[in-house]
Amino acid sequence: MSTVTVIDPTMTATREIEFRDALREAMSQEMRRDPRVFLLGEEVAQYNGAYKVSKGMLDEFGPRRIIDTPISESGFAGMAIGAAMMGLRPIVEFMSWSFSLVAADPILNNAPKMLYMSGGQFGCPIVFRGNDGAGGQLGSTHSWCVEGLYSNVPGLKMAIPSCPEDAKGLMTTAIRDDDPVFFLESERMLGMKGHVPEGDYLVPFGQAKVRREGTDCTLVSFGRPVNFCLDAAAELAKEGISCEVLDMRTIRPLDIDSIVRSVRKTNYGVVVDQSWSFGSPGSEVASQVHQHCFDDLDNFVHRVHSADVPTPYAFNLEQEYLPNARRICEAVRSCLYRA
Amino acid sequence: MPTTVTMPRLSDTMEAGTVIKWHVKEGDTVATGDVLADVETDKATMEMQTYDDGVVAKLLIGAGDRVAIGTPIAVIAVDGEDASSAGAAKPAAAAAAPAPRAAASTDSPVAVTGTVVMPSAHADTGARARISPVARRMAEELGVDINSLRGTGPGGRVIKRDIEAAATRKGSGAVAAPASIMPVVAAPAPAAAASMPVVAGPGSREVAVSGMRQTIARRLVESKSTIPHYQVSMRFNMDPLLELRKMLNAQLEPQGVKLSVNDFIVRACALAMAQHPYFNASWAGDRIIIHGEVNVGVAVSLPAERGGGLVVAVIRNADQKGLRQISLDTRALAEKARTRGLGPEDMMGATFTISNLGMYGVDHFTAIINPPNSAILACGAAVERPVVRNSQLCVGTELDATLSLDHRVIDGAMAAEYLTTVRHNLENPATLLV
Repeated sequence: MSTVTVIDPTMTATREIEFRDALREAMSQEMRRDPRVFLLGEEVAQYNGAYKVSKGMLDEFGPRRIIDTPISESGFAGMAIGAAMMGLRPIVEFMSWSFSLVAADPILNNAPKMLYMSGGQFGCPIVFRGNDGAGGQLGSTHSWCVEGLYSNVPGLKMAIPSCPEDAKGLMTTAIRDDDPVFFLESERMLGMKGHVPEGDYLVPFGQAKVRREGTDCTLVSFGRPVNFCLDAAAELAKEGISCEVLDMRTIRPLDIDSIVRSVRKTNYGVVVDQSWSFGSPGSEVASQVHQHCFDDLDNFVHRVHSADVPTPYAFNLEQEYLPNARRICEAVRSCLYRA
Repeated sequence: MPTTVTMPRLSDTMEAGTVIKWHVKEGDTVATGDVLADVETDKATMEMQTYDDGVVAKLLIGAGDRVAIGTPIAVIAVDGEDASSAGAAKPAAAAAAPAPRAAASTDSPVAVTGTVVMPSAHADTGARARISPVARRMAEELGVDINSLRGTGPGGRVIKRDIEAAATRKGSGAVAAPASIMPVVAAPAPAAAASMPVVAGPGSREVAVSGMRQTIARRLVESKSTIPHYQVSMRFNMDPLLELRKMLNAQLEPQGVKLSVNDFIVRACALAMAQHPYFNASWAGDRIIIHGEVNVGVAVSLPAERGGGLVVAVIRNADQKGLRQISLDTRALAEKARTRGLGPEDMMGATFTISNLGMYGVDHFTAIINPPNSAILACGAAVERPVVRNSQLCVGTELDATLSLDHRVIDGAMAAEYLTTVRHNLENPATLLV
């Protein structure tokens, strides 16, 4: 096993690549490093991936390790879980997490519980990955945010990167992890460019990153909405409100310590989560902040979620449905009694 | 439904109260206005009445127990309810009683004797102060009295910025006085804790400290450690005043009026305020507030059976009251203090204080300023001494008085001038009659 250094990619990276390239680099580097790793999913091989994440991988690794599957999520997810139980390290691409719902039994009822149910005889070192959340006018059945549903299940890990650097580092960690990792990407971010180091590096799970330092209000988010938070923080700075933006990067495990540290400093917390509000990661974060920071809060933790309706198709409604920067600004002002 | 009686908020700074004595026992029939208990707050011991007719079903705490305001302390069965079942249902009744109903709400089953209107900023909410958790914590850390604040959050919630603003005001020493005669609210209370460790040796015994003793300790430490005190003394010839007093008391005796030396001193000091307004003033950090009313506080010691200690009874508008009224007011307040206990309205708003130990034969002493006053006059006894008058040695009656002063407000020469006016008033006592 090669030595891997945990680094802060932003400090050393000089070249810019897209989010999808960062994902591919992580998968390819791990496949070169470990022959047990392989990728399967719809259109991942000959078509180079529905979203070109696996572009060129068939050429390098061949059809035994880059496997096109039929349109049968329940079947190929279940098959991959079996492979993981027997010692391989599969990466399962769902074209969209919306389509994983038909594979709910294998991915929720088998993978996360296998180590427990087998009394430690079988682990399940597998990565499920794909696009999550509103991809842009895909309608309500293809715009699922599965964070709320899936993070409810003990035994799994969930990584939700917000930028290319973290996408590569978190994916590397996910592939090497011995537990099932649910890796949530976003169609809207695949083209996002950022500095990404060339070598392999790990972004540890359960370690939030301060994406912007601030003193007046703590913004807690993960995945795509972190970028909405950064936009909102820039807007609020013009009003003299200094926001600290925490990117959780994984929500299972959840780095509550970093949230607590920040809220104790600012006395205000706003959670931004693109899943629906009822029984969501956002409500869990708010609950834990109330538990740990009760005497530090000047107001209850405010939450910004997608609206409590099926995702609309119309462009303007979809934009308004999302936890966009305007809605975050309103929540921060309200939380700080400046509304 | 049985009525749950909760510990009422009897003063604006009260957080908890002690039932000193229950006047009723379980099974007693009570009618509206009956006194249920004597309750000791941080300021005083007061009577607590019932607003409901019924039967005392359950006393939930014992005499001597101290509980937070809003805590259920008794259950009264009303409208012919079975007292025993109402009492048995106590935990449910207590749990069901919404805590916020407790405090000063007008429909509370309990009120203070004389229905005091509390000058609390939160009186209108009828509930305990709404305050965010961090604001409550900061208020404790910074020594900010949350009851003196009006919150700017929703529903009047006191929030972080309110505490910060108050702390900033206080840091500069200033605290806004809501009305000209309202006390400049308690500044920080540097711990009344013992500054040196005290070890109980053989034969020593410990005495529990009453709420009043705690308050005395806190306020006087605060006064002596934050106000730059100094003293100025003067000796008054009391012969003309004692002669006048003797004559007046002889004439007033059939009317049941007996003027004390202290009554003359109260009037002499109050009248002097017209010429010396800074003696009726408060230091407010970045400015001085000269009060619009002259309210003279008189220190009253309490008998041991009421727990000892002392309170300051306030003679309001003393500059506008004649000797007879001052005398009647003082006696009524002293009597009330020593029997039933003073209510907050009897103790708030003093703008100048007099402490008199003359009746104990004390020649002279110095007193600690009663914040937010700027001065306190300590009076000894009127005693016969050899004196020189008109170059002749003779026997005269004299009284030594010592002013303690806040040098931030009053300088030495001003103190001398004030005492000269007081001396003129006392040595020409006819001026006190008009």
